[in-house]
Amino acid sequence: MLIKIAWRNIWRNRVRSFVVIFAIALGLWAGVFASAFVQGMMEGKINSIIQYEISHFQFHEKDYREEFKTELYLENTSEIEKQLNADDRIIGYSSRLIAMGMVASANKNGSAKIVGINLDDEKQVTKLDTRLKEGSYFEGIKRNPILVSTRFAEKYKLKLRNKVVVTVQDLDGEITAAVFRIVGFYKTGNGIFDDLNVFVRQSDLRNLLKIQDNDVHEIAVLSNSSDLSDPLAKEYQGQFEDQEVLAWPDLSPGMRYIIDIFDVYLYIIVGIILVALLFSIVNTMLMAVLERVKEIGMLMAVGMTKSKVFMMIMWETIFVSMIGAPLGLLFSYVSIAYFGKVGINLATDVYEEMGFSNVIYPYLEAAKYLDVTIMVVFMALLAAIYPALKALSLKPVEAIRKI
Amino acid sequence: MSHLVIEANKLSKVYEGVVPVKAVNEVDNEFTAIVGPSGSGKTTLLNIIGGLDRPTTGNIKVNGNELSGMKPNQLIDFRLNHIGFVFQSYNLIPVLTAKENTEFIMLLQKIAKNQRDERVESLLKEVGLGDRMDARPSQLSGGQQQRVAVARALASKPDFVLADEPTANLDSASAFKLLDIMAQLNKEEGITFLFSTHDQRVIERARRVITLEDGMIKSDEKR
Repeated sequence: MLIKIAWRNIWRNRVRSFVVIFAIALGLWAGVFASAFVQGMMEGKINSIIQYEISHFQFHEKDYREEFKTELYLENTSEIEKQLNADDRIIGYSSRLIAMGMVASANKNGSAKIVGINLDDEKQVTKLDTRLKEGSYFEGIKRNPILVSTRFAEKYKLKLRNKVVVTVQDLDGEITAAVFRIVGFYKTGNGIFDDLNVFVRQSDLRNLLKIQDNDVHEIAVLSNSSDLSDPLAKEYQGQFEDQEVLAWPDLSPGMRYIIDIFDVYLYIIVGIILVALLFSIVNTMLMAVLERVKEIGMLMAVGMTKSKVFMMIMWETIFVSMIGAPLGLLFSYVSIAYFGKVGINLATDVYEEMGFSNVIYPYLEAAKYLDVTIMVVFMALLAAIYPALKALSLKPVEAIRKI
Repeated sequence: MSHLVIEANKLSKVYEGVVPVKAVNEVDNEFTAIVGPSGSGKTTLLNIIGGLDRPTTGNIKVNGNELSGMKPNQLIDFRLNHIGFVFQSYNLIPVLTAKENTEFIMLLQKIAKNQRDERVESLLKEVGLGDRMDARPSQLSGGQQQRVAVARALASKPDFVLADEPTANLDSASAFKLLDIMAQLNKEEGITFLFSTHDQRVIERARRVITLEDGMIKSDEKR
């Protein structure tokens, strides 16, 4: 009967109940969507890191990542490649020569990371060819083609087939330079990456650096699942102890911190939304109690215990939450599914400057739906406590006299 | 029911700036009206007898239960099992039907469903609402609502029904019908009715009339 009364009570003032239900649904949607937005942002960044920068794990010579010295290369990588070729879990790998050097155009010069790639391997691992905005993927220019980003081209005022001078330090420590011709412009959506990286054929860079065949600075490996990054890196590290094999989170520790910070940031946003919602529910439920003072007084007068009165008010809030929460989840699911497909274009380059894509595809793990739902329901129950206590503070003899 | 059922000893209740209620002694009749002008202490006396209020001094025993020393939960239990209330403005639960309003008290008493159903049906028929059991209070007239309130008050098989101005909001026809029903239930169920009223229609029906003035018994007339 208590539950029946509570259920019917919430429909006594339909407008007010719908306002609370809508507030809960909206609060839940806001919390879940904010979570999905942030997580989509993070996923985009992680995907970007995996796709264009690091892949799932990488091989380097020890100390290479600290010093970036030309001479710290992986010698004779045939054994590593043999193992990778035989591993079903590996989709592909790309061996790279890397030089930190200078690029000069007619208008500007500056530092860049010159990456010497095997064209087919790189296609398989980073799909660099699919990111072309203009020009071609190393076709049409026979001698020293170079691929730069659209951002780089804008800064250096470069057009297709323009010449740039690339200066690097070779294996002997000598400064050496060569003229390269722009073959195409790419865009990954990660501004920091695009500003820094230029791609050349590995053979061209090898000639400049004077590094022998089969020696490379980096082997980036793409597996068939992100979850395999850590275990595979550890497994290969065990096999190739003289080299350094690290998974993407260890190669980009800054990203791991950013993800942690954004997780906290997410809970702060959800927390603020929920506090606002809490006051809205307290206000509404308090109104619902105060306008029923006489009725609650009668219930206490005829023999209803305080605990039952308390539970009646709590049930009312639970019912309202149980209607509002699934609605909020439904709105969230639909909006996340929709924007997860079409994306949200922030129409600003600010995020790109920070290394994030400016098109966010909201995404949320099932566990986060549950987290936010629990938070909202807990908040709704918390909000009901004060009005319920207010009801308990009524004295029946005074309450039934109220008009 | 002719035993001593309420025993009040040097009872008083003092409100700030309001007249005190003092010294009502024994109430042992079965259809008793407590009358007097507004502020004379009628409602206060009923509230104290019903365990809704505590006296400032003195003590009160209802069927042997010393109310003054009871804890709040004991008072709730006492009210549930010994007292039925009929209020001036009916005070039904608006979201429940006539049947559910009547049944509600028995649910609090944890009475089995078949017993509840039987008693609810019987009571609502007795108050003339056998055909309106599924109506909500908003679908009933004032007189009908007050009859549901009477059925609800009797549902728990109380020792007393305390009725505070039960006819004050009713037209004559409804008031007479309600009084007829209460008189009949008093006779059939053997439950003592104690009214606080200044309605002449109630006073005329009462078998004992206690008149209060300034919180003191001015007269006590048995008929």
